[in-house]
Amino acid sequence: MFANLRHSISEWIFRAHVPEAPPVTLVQRRIFILPTKHGWFFAFTLLVLLVSSINYSLSLGFLLTFLLAGMAGVAMLHTWRNLAHLKLRPGRCDPVFAGEEVHFTLLAETPSQTRIAIAARRTGQPPVYADVRQPEPAALVMAAGGARRGLLKCGRVEVFTRYPLGFFHAWSYVDFDLSVIVYPKPDHAAGAPPQHSRSESEEGIPVPGDEDFNMLRSYRPGDPPKLIAWKALAREQGLLTKEFSATASAELWLDFADAHATDLESRLSILCQWVLQSERFGQSYGLRLPGLTIRPARGEAHRTRCLEALALYQAPA
Amino acid sequence: MSTLAGPAQLDVRNIWWLLAAFAFVVAPHLLRLPYWIAIFFGVVIGWRAWISWSALRAPPRWLMWGLTIAATIGTYLTYGRIFGREGWSTLLIIMSALKLLESRDQRDIVVCVYLGFFLVMLNFLFSQTIPLGIYMLVCVWVFVGVLVGFNHVGRAPTMSERLKPAGELLVQALPLMVAFFILFPRAQGPLWALPRDTRAGQTGLSETMTPGNIANLIKSDALAFRVTFPDGLPPYQSLYWRGPVMPNFDGATWSMPQHLAQGRFNYPRRERPTRYSVTLEPHQKTWLFALDVPGELPPRSNILSDQTIRTYRPIEQRMRYDMMSYLRYQYGHDTSTYQRDLNLRFDETRNPRTVALGRQWARENPDPRAIVTKASRLLSSGFTYTLEPPLLDRLHPYDDFLFNSKQGFCEHYSGSFALLMRAAGIPARVVTGYQGGEVNPLNNELIVRQADAHAWTEIWIAAEGWVRIDPTAAVSPLRVEGGVNAALGPIGVIPSLIAADGLGLLANLRFAWQFVNSHWDAWVVGYNMDRQRQFFSQLGFPTVDWRTLGFWLLVATFVLGSIVSLGLLVRDRPPRREASLTAWNRFCAKLARAGLARAPHEGPLDFLARVQAARPQMAAEVEEITRRYIEARYGGGASRDDLRELRRRVKEFRPA
Repeated sequence: MFANLRHSISEWIFRAHVPEAPPVTLVQRRIFILPTKHGWFFAFTLLVLLVSSINYSLSLGFLLTFLLAGMAGVAMLHTWRNLAHLKLRPGRCDPVFAGEEVHFTLLAETPSQTRIAIAARRTGQPPVYADVRQPEPAALVMAAGGARRGLLKCGRVEVFTRYPLGFFHAWSYVDFDLSVIVYPKPDHAAGAPPQHSRSESEEGIPVPGDEDFNMLRSYRPGDPPKLIAWKALAREQGLLTKEFSATASAELWLDFADAHATDLESRLSILCQWVLQSERFGQSYGLRLPGLTIRPARGEAHRTRCLEALALYQAPA
Repeated sequence: MSTLAGPAQLDVRNIWWLLAAFAFVVAPHLLRLPYWIAIFFGVVIGWRAWISWSALRAPPRWLMWGLTIAATIGTYLTYGRIFGREGWSTLLIIMSALKLLESRDQRDIVVCVYLGFFLVMLNFLFSQTIPLGIYMLVCVWVFVGVLVGFNHVGRAPTMSERLKPAGELLVQALPLMVAFFILFPRAQGPLWALPRDTRAGQTGLSETMTPGNIANLIKSDALAFRVTFPDGLPPYQSLYWRGPVMPNFDGATWSMPQHLAQGRFNYPRRERPTRYSVTLEPHQKTWLFALDVPGELPPRSNILSDQTIRTYRPIEQRMRYDMMSYLRYQYGHDTSTYQRDLNLRFDETRNPRTVALGRQWARENPDPRAIVTKASRLLSSGFTYTLEPPLLDRLHPYDDFLFNSKQGFCEHYSGSFALLMRAAGIPARVVTGYQGGEVNPLNNELIVRQADAHAWTEIWIAAEGWVRIDPTAAVSPLRVEGGVNAALGPIGVIPSLIAADGLGLLANLRFAWQFVNSHWDAWVVGYNMDRQRQFFSQLGFPTVDWRTLGFWLLVATFVLGSIVSLGLLVRDRPPRREASLTAWNRFCAKLARAGLARAPHEGPLDFLARVQAARPQMAAEVEEITRRYIEARYGGGASRDDLRELRRRVKEFRPA
């Protein structure tokens, strides 16, 4: 009943919540505080202690009761200040494949004292805890398992704390409109993309790839570290990048029509597997979905573009 | 960066802290209770520690029920009942130990901690001394530390991460505690009846006197009562604190009558009125102590025909009452023949030699004064005053004492003296009470201990009424003039150290401790409704009712709460680096209104260059502010004055 009440109060207060631009500082008026179940139970304990003290005229009993009551009052302030002025920003949320665990990250920063046992939870999910110290931000990583293809929204996050005594629950809501793109689950049984979709030009033109070592060239910013010729660097020949060549077998079209399966998700899974496979083999590939065509290309950016297209694809109504 | 997994509250270290806190708080109880409870508690604590150490499962439910029932039966067998103070504390200890044993989740732990607070309270039922109070404060601290530990979710905190926040909470709660303690309206009397044995086991005088039982009292250093004399201490020899009067005699034991008529303050002679107030320790009896003879009555009491003062209910709490006595007096001249006869009775078949001696004195000279003189002459020859007299014959104890052992204590002397008087035809009775006391030089308070217990006699003489005769004075005048220590030498080890010390360090420490204790007892332990009124009337509020107190309670809560909040806010203010940023943002906002908005990527120096190029007329001022900002935010740290200067310049800055 109490939880329901709190829920409806907070729903009423946050009737229309709009996503906010980071960073958000939990200022005074955003923080709510109410006793927990343990807090009410403690209040009952205090009452019993007080009645016993009165009945037995125990002065030290009065002292104990009032000390504990004062402590509970002070604890309310401490709980509140454990959350107050906390600065929150969204952290990185990497895309995942369907069925994998999504990690929504909130970064919490304290401008003043260390915050202990700060918790964050999405609606209906178990909370995660972190201590926030100066100066670097602490990450609150909320995992969500079994993601489905598409755009997974984080939704409103409740940031709360019950430290130090658990008598009070201080909380605030933030909504950064965080979302994670969930790619289709690759279908490992999909096999190779159908050959007929290859274009006519079959002669092998060496294109930059990563299969056969071709040459050393001078380093350009952005080259992946694993391609740097560290031995050459050790010989003081400067920063050189190893270049490999792949035999491009012309353009490959990954076509929605070629992915044979009963339902949309399975077909997208097949296409997803083909995108990953083609990229791994260094092929240049294009993607054809009903109503969407991505020109053949290759590389990380292209792959991401294709996977996002698959992730966000909606069947035409 | 640290992300901690969900609640893992039942961490081993957390559990061990909880167990340690329990052991602390239960220790004083275990010293008091039967040994099997200590064993039971130790086993359960050890078992729980083992469970959390080896990650075992909690004991099965049937076993818990079995243990509960067995422990309850054990309690019943030990005390013969469940209710009563000892029974309750035993059961509470057992139940909380079992709760500890079966605790699985955080809810159980919280219940255990709250039970711990009850165990603290339970200790106060038995004792409210300063050392116990301090010890219990430490226990509360550890329990709060346990709560902090369980709410420090994700990682078991270190010792200082538990105790520091807990200590901080308690220290900040102290002012509130004091305010509540002073202001919370106190009620008169209990809400429901106290169980009979709540204050059991206290020592004190009893309804009967047999040779030997006061001697045991005298070995006790326990406090009986304390007295303050606003007009100065009366002569030491007059400090006879009248207690139970015993006219009934069976040959060995003197005892109080079952019923006595109401008395009056009917004194033909009343001189030397002396005012004093007594703080009496609870002794479970209905009598109050007053100097001979009482001249007025404390509230809720009456006076009996033997001039003793009785309360309506047994004294179960420390009680303070104001008294007035006349030190020179005459009373009882109008005692009825029937009353006099009652004070002449004795069993003819017992103590024949004593009875014969009394009768012989009466035949020689019936004048009471002459008989008293003969008796004191007898007792002052060859008798010794000792706390360890030999055992006396059960049938004729006073014959054995007077003619055989000749070693005894005040009860031997007063008992045999009264018997001699009765045999000689003089009405006589034994009066018990306390004699003398010890003066604390720090506050001139008279401290009367059980060791000052005394017994004397009163005889009735036609022209004078009841006259006090202290036969012990004949044997050992020091007892009456200098107190029991002077007569016997110190008793026990610590007093003998103090005696050897004279009025040196140890004695001073002892008096200082007495002084502190006396104030603690008066103003903390004894802070009741009367004390509360007294306190507020001393402050100049003679009439305070609970509404006024409640109002001031709210005011105090509000004021003290605000002080604590402000203290926390001041401490949490962002460091000065942040303050300089605030000033800088204000400065940028002013420039933005003047059409020079700082781009988000623009550092202070780039921005400065652009502003200087755009508005050369204010180049100097902008440069000064920027320089000060950079120094405060990125430099070695700015002083309070530097920040104030930066803020002032920003405030006065007017973009042209």
